[in-house]
Amino acid sequence: MTDLFRPTGRKNARTAGVLALVMSLLLLAGCATTPQLSPATRQALPTRATVGDVPFHGQRDYQCGPAALAMVLEAAGRDTAVDALIPQVFLPGRDGSVQPEMLATVRRHGLIPFRLETGFPGLLDELAAGRPVVVMQNLSLPIWPQWHYAVAIGYDLPADDIVLHTGMTPERSVDFGRFDATWARSGRWAFVALPPGQLPVDEDVDANLRAITDFESVQGSAAALPAWRALAQRHPDAAMVQFALGNARYANGDAQGAKQAFRAAVTAAPTLAPAWLNLGIVAGRTGDSDTARRALERAAALPGPWQPRAREERKALAEETDA
Amino acid sequence: MKRLTRLLSPLLILALILGSLPVVAATPSADQGLIGTATVLDAQASQQDRDKIRRVLAREDVQQQLLLQGVSPAQVEERVAALSDAEARQMADRLDQMPAGAGVVGALFAVFIILLVTDILGLTDVYPFTR
Repeated sequence: MTDLFRPTGRKNARTAGVLALVMSLLLLAGCATTPQLSPATRQALPTRATVGDVPFHGQRDYQCGPAALAMVLEAAGRDTAVDALIPQVFLPGRDGSVQPEMLATVRRHGLIPFRLETGFPGLLDELAAGRPVVVMQNLSLPIWPQWHYAVAIGYDLPADDIVLHTGMTPERSVDFGRFDATWARSGRWAFVALPPGQLPVDEDVDANLRAITDFESVQGSAAALPAWRALAQRHPDAAMVQFALGNARYANGDAQGAKQAFRAAVTAAPTLAPAWLNLGIVAGRTGDSDTARRALERAAALPGPWQPRAREERKALAEETDA
Repeated sequence: MKRLTRLLSPLLILALILGSLPVVAATPSADQGLIGTATVLDAQASQQDRDKIRRVLAREDVQQQLLLQGVSPAQVEERVAALSDAEARQMADRLDQMPAGAGVVGALFAVFIILLVTDILGLTDVYPFTR
């Protein structure tokens, strides 16, 4: 009796073992299913897209970071070379390049790095808009990571293929499933590098505001001004954007334009104390003391970290007009 | 690094306190600028002076770490300067664990077979010859 049942039992164990192996591999790797693209998304996108004029640079040793940067910087018309980028972004001790420094290097070359936070559809949107996208992948499994930067330059919806400048291979087609499996392991990290004045397809005000502010801290207000103008044009009612535009205009010597932007900011958000305060200061300095007094009144009445400064400015203005 | 931090912290606290004193005492000087955009964005997240100290320390820390990782001293300052505050803090906190993109280099032979299988399954992209 027992002999009769043993083979079946053994077979079950083997099946179970294979199943367990496959399951654990899948768990390790995450599932390589084709990313979910809703029919609506597919319909809204052009069937195929190729970003023209993205030069290819094959990576040497561990230097896919500098190579990927050289491709997007040159595509945006910046004059640079892989050899010049290596000392700016490569970390010899890590045999690679880390994400924050990839973004920082883009800033050093006068372009604004915008992180893509909208996953696979967002990536296709940027490609359809004609921008190359730097993506970070883990080509291997999470326990033996092989981190890699590539540049996405196109896609083909009917074939479910994405086209990458990657490693030593230009224009390599990778199917959506495989690409997304390797990309998902970096948390779908990606960015576009755009000249000031161009904005990403994604209209997330806060993310774009942050990206331009970080750029401005490195490159200054004159370089950032076109970006603020473009963002203010896209979101005329976003108070912080108008505020930022006002600051950049004032730093570039356009006091009238600055006042106008600060006014738009307080119209959109009457409780934005720093905008009242800056409006008051700029108005005071341009001899418009009526506006200055009114704006500083408002700023001084709003509780918060800028209240002391607003009171000082109000006092200074009052003494000035008395004298 | 700890010793440096211990040395720098009181100095920075002192500097910041001294720096803020004249603002309280005197009337504002004419060249005091507008409130900056970054200042307001950061203030929305937190308003602590302690944060300011941490930001300065983070940059010092990153600079040290980059030097240790073999970045040339001539380059290190510019590299740190191009980071945003948030990025500098991230790097100060966890540069060791941060993934460093190295690229398509030969994988370990020991895991060759497993990666070959996952490559064929379309889960990984290590060996281009599987397609």
